[in-house]
Amino acid sequence: MTKFIIRRVIQALPVIWLITVVSFLLMQQAPGGPQAVFNQNPHITPEQVDAWLQRWCLVRNADILQTIQEYLGWLGVYNCTGGGFLSSQGLPNFLPAFLGGGTNGVIHGDFGFSISSGQPVLSLIAQRLPATAILMGTAWILWVVIATLAGVLAAVKRYSLIDQVITILSYVFYSLPTFWLGLILIFIFGVELRLFPAQGIINVRTSPAPFGTDAYWHALFANPWPQLVDIGQHLVLPVTTLIAVSVAGDSRFVRSAMLESLSQDYVRTARAKGLPGRTVIFRHAFRNALLPIVTNIALEIAFLFGGAIATETVFSYPGMGLLFYDGVNERDYFLLMGILLIASLFIVFMNLVADVLYVMVDPRIKYD
Amino acid sequence: MSEPGVPPPEDVLLEVRGLRTEFRVLDGIVPAVDGVDFSLRRGETLGLVGESGSGKSVTSLSIMRLIERPGAIVGGEIWFEGRDLLKLSEGDMEDIRGNEITMIFQEPMTSLNPVFTVGEQIAESVRLHRHASKKDAWDRAIEMLKLVGIPSPERRVKQYPHEMSGGMRQRVVIAMALACDPKLIIADEPTTALDVTIQAQILELMKRIQAESGAAMLLITHDLAVVAETVQRIAVMYAGKIVESGAVEETLLHPQHPYTEGLLTSIPSRVARGQRLNVIKGTVPNPFRLPKGCKFEPRCPYSFEPCKDNDPPLESIGNDRKVRCWLHGLPEHALPVTVAAGTTPGGAS
Repeated sequence: MTKFIIRRVIQALPVIWLITVVSFLLMQQAPGGPQAVFNQNPHITPEQVDAWLQRWCLVRNADILQTIQEYLGWLGVYNCTGGGFLSSQGLPNFLPAFLGGGTNGVIHGDFGFSISSGQPVLSLIAQRLPATAILMGTAWILWVVIATLAGVLAAVKRYSLIDQVITILSYVFYSLPTFWLGLILIFIFGVELRLFPAQGIINVRTSPAPFGTDAYWHALFANPWPQLVDIGQHLVLPVTTLIAVSVAGDSRFVRSAMLESLSQDYVRTARAKGLPGRTVIFRHAFRNALLPIVTNIALEIAFLFGGAIATETVFSYPGMGLLFYDGVNERDYFLLMGILLIASLFIVFMNLVADVLYVMVDPRIKYD
Repeated sequence: MSEPGVPPPEDVLLEVRGLRTEFRVLDGIVPAVDGVDFSLRRGETLGLVGESGSGKSVTSLSIMRLIERPGAIVGGEIWFEGRDLLKLSEGDMEDIRGNEITMIFQEPMTSLNPVFTVGEQIAESVRLHRHASKKDAWDRAIEMLKLVGIPSPERRVKQYPHEMSGGMRQRVVIAMALACDPKLIIADEPTTALDVTIQAQILELMKRIQAESGAAMLLITHDLAVVAETVQRIAVMYAGKIVESGAVEETLLHPQHPYTEGLLTSIPSRVARGQRLNVIKGTVPNPFRLPKGCKFEPRCPYSFEPCKDNDPPLESIGNDRKVRCWLHGLPEHALPVTVAAGTTPGGAS
C-alpha cells in the first residue's frame, strides 16, 4: 500500500507539471494582459509599460519563445533578472538556493506576487482559503448525504411516487446552469422573501471584525454560536447553488448503483437467511453499492472547484473562486497560476484518496 | 391431500396445496406456478424436475416467500410444521427463513456477498437465529466449514468469496444453509454451475449431510441423473404444473406421463453412438398463450381429442404415484401399450 501511494505520487508529478504548462500557455493566449489597465491612461507611455512589465518578468505581445521564458521564469528554471538559465551565482537556476541556484519560481517555493494588488500570491490565497474551505466542506458533506439518501430511497422504493418525485426533481436540477440557479435563488429568497442573505459570508454590520482577520477568529472561538449562525445563514443559498447539480446527478448514480446491487444474488441469499429488510438493504446491498459511489464522490470534488468559481462570483462570497474570477479579469497571471496549482494539487490528492478508499471498501482489490 | 385450511398429518413436514404464483408484466399475466400440489415427509428427499421456465425455482422461492414484484403468490396453501406459511406475518417468516427452512442457490459465484468474509456470512445467520455471541457464532462457522469438508477451516473462515474456487464457495453456501440445523433444505440447482467432477463431490456431500442432519430436502434440478442419484421421490413440472410424481425408481423406470418419457429418452448417454437422439418436438408454450387443454398437448406424441380442450387433473394411479394425463382416464389408449410400440423406456441410468 505504501509503495502504491509513493508510486502514485511520483506519477502525479508530471501530471501537475503538464497542467501548469497548459494553463500558462492558455492564459497567455487570452487577449489583453495585466498592462491593459494602462491602455486608457494618456499619462503612461509605452516605455513605462514595458518597464513595468519587465518588473514582473513579462514581455508585451510575447512570441512563443518569450512565452516559454515567462513560463520557465514562473517555474523557477529561468532567471529573468538577466542570468538566463543561470542564477546570480552563475550556477543552473533550477538548483536549490543553498546549492547556488536561484530563488524565483515555484520550484523554489516562490509563488510570486499578485500583479494587481502587489501582495504575495500565497498570502492572498491563504486569506481566502478558510471561506472556500467552509463553503466546499459544507457543500461536500451535504451533497454526499443528500445524494446518498435520495438515491437509496429511490432505489428501495423503485417506481413508487417518491421515486418519481426524486427522479423529476433530479432531472430539473441537473439541467439548471449553476450561475442562473444562483441568481434565481438570490431573487426569490434574498430579495423577495428576505429569508437568507444573498451576499458575502458574514453580516458586516453585526460581525465583531471583518472575516478572516485575527480579531474575527478570536471572537469566533470566544463565542462561536452567533458567528456560526451568521455564517450558516450566509451559506444556505451558495451551498444550495453549488450542490444542486451534483446532488441531482449523483442521486441518479446512487440509485442505479443501489438498484444493481439490490438485484444481485447475494441480496436474495441475505433475504433467504431471514435477515430483516433493513439489514438486507443497508448491510448487504448498500455496502456493495458503496464501491462505485465512494470513488465517484472523491473524484467529483473537482466539480465543486469549478462550481465554486461561478457560485462565489454570483454571491460575492470572499473565497478563492471569487479571487480567481477577479484574477481572470485582471489577467493576474501569477495569482491565477498559484490558484490553479493549488487546485490541481488538491484534485490529484483526492484522486489518490479515491484509490485508497476503494481498497478499503472492496476486499477484492489489492494494490502492491 | 387434506381439506383446505386443515393442517396435514404430523409426519408431513411440508405440504404445498394449489400454489399459484403469477408475474404481472407489461404484456399480461404469466402464471409461473399454476396450481402446484406436493408434500414432503420429515427427512424425505424430493426432486422437483423440469426444464427452464417450468416454474421449479418460482415454486421454491414461493415456499420461502421470496417472490418479488412483479411476481406475487395469488393462491394456495403452504403448510410447514402445522402452520400455513402464506398466512404468517413477514416477521414470523423471517424467523423461519434461514433457520427452519434454508436455501442453497445455483450460482456459488454470485450468491455470496463479495465484501464479507465467508465466516461473517455463516456466522450472521447463527447470530440472528440462535442469538449466539460473536465468538460462538464464529466457532460455529469454523465447525460448519469443517463439516462440509473445507480443509484448514480456521484459515478459510477469514477469507473472502473471491479467494475461493466455485466448488469451495458452494460448500460455503451449504455450510450457511446448515448452520442453524434446518428442518427443510431447498436446493435450487445446486450443482448446475459447477464442473462435472465438482458436481459429483457436492452431490455426495449433500447426500451425506442430509442423511446426517435428518433434514428433509427439496432438490430442484433439470438434471435427471442428479435426481436418480440423490432423491427418494420425484415430481416432474411442466408449464407451472406438476405432471407426474412418485418414487424415483418407479417413475424413472416406468414413466406414466408422455413428458417424463420424453425427458428420459432425450438423455444422450442412453442413445447408442450413431443413433439419432430423441427430442421432444416443439418448445415450451408461450406463457401468455397457454394451450386451452393439456399444456403438453401440442408437443405430445399421444395427443387425442380430449386433450385439446380439457386440462387433465393430477390423478392418483396407486402405489403413491400421481399423473396428470387423459391417457390414464381412458384405458383403451393406455400409455404402456403405445410406448411398447414406439420407443423403449429403459432403466434409469
